[in-house]
Amino acid sequence: MSTYYAGLFADIGILFLGAMSVYIILATGQLSLGNAGFMGIGAYLASFLTVELQWPLTAALIAAALAAALIGVVVGFPALRLKGIYLAIATLGFGEMVRSFLLNFDRMGGSGGFHGMKHVSLATIWLWAGGILVLIVLLERSRLWLHMRAVHDDEIAANLVGLDTTATKVGAFGFGAAVAAISGGLFAHHYVYIEPGNFGFERSIDFVLAVILGGSTVGPGALIGAGLLVLLPEWLRFLADWRLAAFGVLLVLVLLTRRQGILDKPLLDRLTFGGLRA
Amino acid sequence: MLEMRKLIIGGLMTAALMSGAQVAQAQNTINIGAIVPSSGPFAEWGRANTVTLKMLEKEVNDAGGVNGAKLNIVILDDAAKPAQAANNMRKLAGDDKVLAVAGPLTSSACEVTFPVANELKTVSTSQASSKPGVAKANRPWAFRNTIDEGILAKTSVPYFKKTFDAKSVAIIYDAKDAVSTSIATKIMPQVFADAGIKVINGDSPISFNTGDLDVSAQVTKLKSMSPDGIVIGADYSQAITVLREMKRQGLTKPVIGGTPLISSAILKAAPEIPVVAPATFYATMTTPKAKKFVADLQPLMRATAGLPKDIEPSMYDANIYETVSMYIDAVKKTGVTGKPDSLEADRTKIRDYMANLKGYEGFSGPIHFGEDGDAIKNFFIVQGQNGAWETKVTGCSAAGGSC
Repeated sequence: MSTYYAGLFADIGILFLGAMSVYIILATGQLSLGNAGFMGIGAYLASFLTVELQWPLTAALIAAALAAALIGVVVGFPALRLKGIYLAIATLGFGEMVRSFLLNFDRMGGSGGFHGMKHVSLATIWLWAGGILVLIVLLERSRLWLHMRAVHDDEIAANLVGLDTTATKVGAFGFGAAVAAISGGLFAHHYVYIEPGNFGFERSIDFVLAVILGGSTVGPGALIGAGLLVLLPEWLRFLADWRLAAFGVLLVLVLLTRRQGILDKPLLDRLTFGGLRA
Repeated sequence: MLEMRKLIIGGLMTAALMSGAQVAQAQNTINIGAIVPSSGPFAEWGRANTVTLKMLEKEVNDAGGVNGAKLNIVILDDAAKPAQAANNMRKLAGDDKVLAVAGPLTSSACEVTFPVANELKTVSTSQASSKPGVAKANRPWAFRNTIDEGILAKTSVPYFKKTFDAKSVAIIYDAKDAVSTSIATKIMPQVFADAGIKVINGDSPISFNTGDLDVSAQVTKLKSMSPDGIVIGADYSQAITVLREMKRQGLTKPVIGGTPLISSAILKAAPEIPVVAPATFYATMTTPKAKKFVADLQPLMRATAGLPKDIEPSMYDANIYETVSMYIDAVKKTGVTGKPDSLEADRTKIRDYMANLKGYEGFSGPIHFGEDGDAIKNFFIVQGQNGAWETKVTGCSAAGGSC
């Protein structure tokens, strides 16, 4: 594989993890537009641990994920009172808050950014991405996932049958934040430089876009979405100045033809063992 | 539906094959790469860079090429996104097998691209990055044909103090842009303090965000501080918004900033407000080399779709032109063959040539590179008045002060 494609696949892995963080929260019917904030927290914390305290990367990523999960839960509680577009705006505000904080946080370089991380291999990125994917696929077959879907479909009904909707929603926020933090930690160690601008609104939108494009009803959908979001703008380079316009047109076409995203349950079943069983 | 998907996938594969085919026919050519932001927030600079490089390519090939070989400049768009710039570097060095790369433009892009340049052992020279220490952190393959903002401010601030008899200044800056933030919150307050000028809001500079169209509240606050001068940390397109608002509110105090302020557009925003900024090139320069460059390039730029009809070549066009000219000189003088089997040796020759550059005559005079990878060349402190930049002080970025 050329170094160019290695770079692109690293981007896909990182974007996929970010998209999964949105997917987990979306599974409980909550749309978060602030996951780049969690990613930033993970990136800065993991980098601090590996560079300043010389922790090994794995330990740093786990610590960053746990810390972000805690913050995710804290953010999740006030978010319980908000729904739909109001929640989306509130999380967007949270993301901008984190970015502004990092911009003024001189201990970690502030606007000047932070250096000193060691480059992480493509294999490591994909071990984490693959691990999280397996975890999600297993989760999707569990009772817990049914709880999450129930909250997604009708929160009041789920509450009436005795499900703890608060724990489910807040827990999803915590888990999503942890996955976003891992994405951020890997991002920091792939590019070996981070600055607050890396974790702005645009990145949160990329996460959501990868989920919507790839398929918002099954976990592996985000993988397809992330792949297309990274590779399409590169493959369309022969269009020169028109490449981003063409990219937009293709996105609209895909969503017109497959509103649920490219990958959905029936297609996934046809492509995997489910198809054989049938 | 399935047919349509097949069609889309087929189209994409053809595209991928096409870009592969371009590499295969690269024989008897000297391949140089360039990373410019042709889309995104700095699209104007990137597209102007593209026109500049196309002109240079044509000039060289019309004159018989490089040692008889055809010059081919592979220009990639990074949309001013750091991640794309780093991947562009991988594509240029890994797939397109270029000898050296000009770009990327922004400091944020350089921060992530220069480590890749070191990893792949290919020279990368930025045309615009001026955030302190970016090339220094990525030796030996990273260069910048620019001067650190910290060095430039040490000459521009004393001029500002002397000319406008300024005793106090207030700062306003674009908090979303890393270079602007570093100019406004780190470099300028320090240099002003050293020059004995009071920075009224040094602890809490007034900020706005890239893309803000209304900065009236911020300018009202600036005005209430009644400073003798205003420091604007922003690139020209954002600074124009601030200048227009200053003019509207009658705050016609002199303005000082970094290199990102230099453009012809900023002079038209508020001609009555004097603007002081450092530059290594500006379109109304009178040296013969600069005059010819502008005379050749300006009509091409103005005829290009997507660029303003009154655009002038910028400092970044001059810088990228110089950079690629240096690469071409390196190829001519150090026996670079451009053949695939000597790629690694060729790249090392170009790096050594750049590191030991002597006697290259740029637009502002001779250029060479310091230990930290930044250009040592003449610069000018220019003042914008009545729609034109005028040189007020000439300096050199060398430690001793003469180039």
